[in-house]
Amino acid sequence: MKMLRIWMFVFTLATLILTGPAQAIDGTQLLKAIDRNLNPESYEMYRKLINVEPDGRRKEYTLFSVKKGVDRVAALFLAPASEKRRSTLRLGDNMWLYIPNVGKPVRITSLQSVVGGVFNNADILSLDYAAEYDVEKIEEAGDEYLLHLKAKTKTVAYDRIKLWADKNRKLPAKIECLTEAGMLIKTLYFKEIKDFGGGIVRPSIIETDSPLYRGYKSIFIFANIKQRDFKDEVFTLTFMPKLESLRK
Amino acid sequence: MGKLRTLLAVLVALLISSVSFADEEYKFDISEIEKKPYHIGGYVEFRPAIFWLDNDAALYKLRFFNQDEGSTTEAYNGNLQLEGSYEKGIARLFFLVNGNLTYNYQGWSDSLDLYEGTLSLKPSSSLAIDVGKATQKWGKGYAWNPVAFVDRPKDPEEPDLAREGFWMASADYIKSFDGPLKTLSITPVILPVYDQINDEFGKINELNFAGRLYLLLYDTDIDLVFLSGGSKTPRFGFDFSRNISTNFEVHGEFAYINNFKQKTIDEQGRVSESKFDAKSYLLGMRYLTKADTTFILEYYHNGMGYTQDEIGSFFSLVDKSYETYLSSRNRGSLTKAQSLAVNYGGVNPMKDYLYLRVTQKDPFNILYFTPALTSIINLDDGSFSLAPELTYTGIKNLEVRLKAMANVGHNGSEYGEKPSDYRLELRVRYYF
Repeated sequence: MKMLRIWMFVFTLATLILTGPAQAIDGTQLLKAIDRNLNPESYEMYRKLINVEPDGRRKEYTLFSVKKGVDRVAALFLAPASEKRRSTLRLGDNMWLYIPNVGKPVRITSLQSVVGGVFNNADILSLDYAAEYDVEKIEEAGDEYLLHLKAKTKTVAYDRIKLWADKNRKLPAKIECLTEAGMLIKTLYFKEIKDFGGGIVRPSIIETDSPLYRGYKSIFIFANIKQRDFKDEVFTLTFMPKLESLRK
Repeated sequence: MGKLRTLLAVLVALLISSVSFADEEYKFDISEIEKKPYHIGGYVEFRPAIFWLDNDAALYKLRFFNQDEGSTTEAYNGNLQLEGSYEKGIARLFFLVNGNLTYNYQGWSDSLDLYEGTLSLKPSSSLAIDVGKATQKWGKGYAWNPVAFVDRPKDPEEPDLAREGFWMASADYIKSFDGPLKTLSITPVILPVYDQINDEFGKINELNFAGRLYLLLYDTDIDLVFLSGGSKTPRFGFDFSRNISTNFEVHGEFAYINNFKQKTIDEQGRVSESKFDAKSYLLGMRYLTKADTTFILEYYHNGMGYTQDEIGSFFSLVDKSYETYLSSRNRGSLTKAQSLAVNYGGVNPMKDYLYLRVTQKDPFNILYFTPALTSIINLDDGSFSLAPELTYTGIKNLEVRLKAMANVGHNGSEYGEKPSDYRLELRVRYYF
């Protein structure tokens, strides 16, 4: 009997030791680590956005993007010619679109899409996940963590997010964007991990589809992601027509 | 017509070469993002239109008094908008040229205008200096901008079109902060008006000063603006814009125009001038529904506009002058009315207007297809315009828009007295 008690004590202790680390995972720290593995906090990058229609027809956009800190991000359209010199700016919950012909930045909302297709403005001008979401729950599923995220405020584009992340690399593999009622809006698939240099190793393609756009998909291809610091004044309405001057 | 056929043939050839299908892997060629010091781009456009004329309307009589156009008239427009830039160090040269070729009831006409041409110096990300022909485009309104003191007026039927600027020197100083005030920028403007330089702006031989203070304060865009000098009477104003939620934006403008001078003409053709302080303002919103329908709604009070009686007197004068012309071929009175037609027959000449634009993104899952319905309602006389349109942008660099327009109103009302009742227009635009 005594041996049985000792064995049960050892078994319980071992179970606690083995399962303990998973329960002790700090969700916020994990989410911040995922953010940092995706991008440096301040960076420049190039992206190609491809909208693919059910019949295979595609439309492509090329963007130059810059980000600083947790809530400043801007993007400049380089192609196609019909969109060239357009730029978008995000400061926290504020978003603007500058169209050269119109000549002045106009406010846009996160749920609109300046490019059409499955990606909306919040996807194109995305901030760190940890800046917009709290971690409600973490589950472990094989080699992946499943993070259940809840928007910090009502102004965030998606009320809930389910994020599947690789345990070793701490990089997202799949993200589901949901409404408050749990309805699926879109799914993002992170593919083809690539070394961009400067210690940045991350997926180079994000593919998305949506039950709201059956048969359509949108793809982001990333290139030249680099850590770079900018002055705060770059992220202002007055600077929007001059974003091209940041390209080297 | 040969010139227009050539333009059309070029457009069709460009269209055919633009369609791309996904039979290749996704690729991102780094040469696509290589920065060049120069840039040339723009668009070429073909825009045929047919007008159903209202032979009883005052503005029809004013325009067509000596010719019989029948019940319809056509117009064929070809447009070329060309822009280019060259960048070296902190300096950048930029130009925007607009060329137009039109065939209508008056025959062929063409124009070539420099819309913008500037030299910009950007010694730091906080400071930029611009000299040349430029636009400032102040204001937050979509259809109207009462605070756009140093720009040509916007056409609310086509608010997104590029407009010709004025020769000016301006600077932008930007400062960012942490806290409720996130951004502050100051834009001083010097606008000279002399013979051959900006002489359309106002009184010549005057040096005008204008300025804008922009604040992003408590997540709200706020601009304070002014214009002084002598070419126009002094004026100041403010505007604001704010996102209330992820799908709801509100904006507004207020302008105070000191000692505004207004010319009026009575039924007998007597011209008089009055002077008063005018207040113009605008309140608007943009709302996006879950079904991706966008509503833009704006109320505009034009403090410099005419009352219903004043515009009624003008239309009566035109009717009487037309009768006189028919009976005696004397066009003196009609000529007098024509001299004021820019004011009375121009864009929204009266006091109170409502603008509503409803656009539906990708209906029936047709990507890049955007139907829209736009209406401008004159709240003073109840007349209105109604413009349904279909736009398709699914082919690379090509935009095709079919737009119809109806002017609805009783005799003596703004839209009831427009020269045409209906218009149907196709616009094919290719960007390069």
